[in-house]
Order: sequence, then C-alpha cells, then structure tokens
Amino acid sequence: MSTTPDKLVERYLKHLEVELDDVPRDRRREIVDEIAGHIAEARAGLEHETEADVRNILDGLGDPAEIAEDARERFDVRPPVPTAAYKPGWMEIGALIMLLVGGVVIPIVGWLVGVILLWLSNAWNVRDKLIGTIFVPGGLGLSILLFFMTATLESGGGSTCQIDSTTGQNHCTPVDGSDWNVFDVLKVLVVAAIIVAPIITTMYLGYRLRHHQQAAATA
Amino acid sequence: MVAGKQDALLAQMRKGTLQYCVLALLSDEERYGFDLVRSLAETDGMVTSEGTIYPLLSRLRRDGLVETTWRESTSGPPRRYYKLTAAGRAALAAFRDEWERFRDAVDHFVERKAG
Repeated sequence: MSTTPDKLVERYLKHLEVELDDVPRDRRREIVDEIAGHIAEARAGLEHETEADVRNILDGLGDPAEIAEDARERFDVRPPVPTAAYKPGWMEIGALIMLLVGGVVIPIVGWLVGVILLWLSNAWNVRDKLIGTIFVPGGLGLSILLFFMTATLESGGGSTCQIDSTTGQNHCTPVDGSDWNVFDVLKVLVVAAIIVAPIITTMYLGYRLRHHQQAAATA
Repeated sequence: MVAGKQDALLAQMRKGTLQYCVLALLSDEERYGFDLVRSLAETDGMVTSEGTIYPLLSRLRRDGLVETTWRESTSGPPRRYYKLTAAGRAALAAFRDEWERFRDAVDHFVERKAG
C-alpha cells in the first residue's frame, strides 16, 4: 500500500519535467531537484503518512503547468505557442514566387500579390519586408521590361542621324567611340543590377525564412 | 472584466514583490528551500503555489543575489542552503526604501479613514 504515495510523487515530478520542457536544461534540473527535495522534506516531517497527506503536499506546491509558466516568465522563455505561429508555410513560399516572377506572368498585379503576401506573413520583420518591396518593384517583370526597352533604344543607337534641311538627305555620323563605351558600360551595369537585384532579394528572404524556421525549431 | 484585471494586477504585484520577501527572509540567516517556503506560507496571501518559489530561487542565484551551499542534514539527504550576497543585500535595501515611499503614498490615498 505504501507504493501509492510514491507513485503520486513520481507522477507529479514527471508531469513537472514535461511542463518545463522548454526551460533550459540546467534550470529545469535545478527546479525539479529542489521540488523533489521539498516533497521529501515535507514527507519526512509526517508521523504517519497517508495518501491524503501526500496529496496535500502536492496541492500546496501547485499545478506543474503553473510552476512551469512561472519559470518561463522568470527566465524570459517564450511560451511555445507563438513561435509555432511563425512556421513558414504556403504564404511565405507564395510571397517569394510572386515577388520574383509574378510580374512576368501578370504584369504589376502578380507582383502586387507577392507584396501583399509578404506583408501578411509573420515570418519576416518589417526591415525584411521593406527590402522585399523596394528591391525591386515589379520583380523580374520590371527587369524584363527594362531589358527590352534598352535593347530597343540600343538598336536605334550607335550613330546619330540628322536630316539635312537644305538637301533633304539623311546624314548619319558615327558617334565618337569612347563616349559610347562609357555609356554602354553604365547601361549594361544598370540592366544587370536590375536583373540581379530581385534574385538576390528573393535569396535573402529565403535565407531569412530558413533562419527563422531553425530558430522556431530550436526554441 | 474589471474583476479579472484586478486579479491579474494583484497576481503581478505578488509575483513582483515575492523576490524581495525571499531576500528579506534570507537577510538574517541562511535557509533551505523547504524552510523558506514554510515561512512564506505562514503569512496568508503571499504565496498561492509553493512550487513557484523554486524557479524564483534559481533566478535569484543566477542573478547573483543569493548563493547556495550544500550542507548535510541530520534527518535525511543534504540540503541546499540559500544565503544573501552583497548584491542581494544592496537590492533589498534599495527596494525597501522605494517600497516604503510607495506604500505610504498609496496608503495616503486608499486607506480607510478612521471615524
């Protein structure tokens, strides 16, 4: 019959251990050991221990869930529920895809859908969301548009043509080579930057997502 | 809703001041956990769940306000004794001054007037 109080105590301590799961290990050990010691002291002070006595001791200590909540607060451990809400899901994946290529499939609207998903998600902070919105509006859609625009300009360039007002003849004079080279290099750099920027932004946001996922998993 | 908020406020006040009650209990002598809990429980309304003292003691130790030593007990396994550090003493003194001012100020307004 003497096993019943022992079983009660054992069950209580196990329950406490489980509730303290997200408290750092050394602190969890310390709290569980101290409470086990408390129970042992209280039981040693009883002349004829009854099951009711042991139940009163455990009641006095309080619900393990309540002790664990207090411990989380004391040690600034975030409760497990909010971290679970940050778990990346379809919204985050949708945001990344639409931000990058949404503007290619449906100009402007596709990219806007990406922006809305980005800002609705809990997985990024405001700084990340601003980066995602500013670099680059339209995503690859804008890049492609600009690429074709510069390509069209380029085909008309290379030389400047003037219609002679007196003869009506078209005089085309090749523009000085060195000037064009500087302009070309700049243009290529700008176009390259506009193509590369959305890809880098997407990779960055993806990295932050994985980072976040790991943080949520270890918390 | 008002009653709920009041309960929450009282619970927070109890939780916030409990650590100073523990420090005060340790200011004269070192004590072990069970002994501390028993002393606190003697005063009604201070501790609702005795078990919550242990996370608090662990936190105080990590903050360097108390230190612990294991001592053999005549009646069972060794006990972990808690003792105030210099930092703990300073924290208690600072709180005591603030608390007396605060308590007097609140009393001044909410205390039942005699007669």
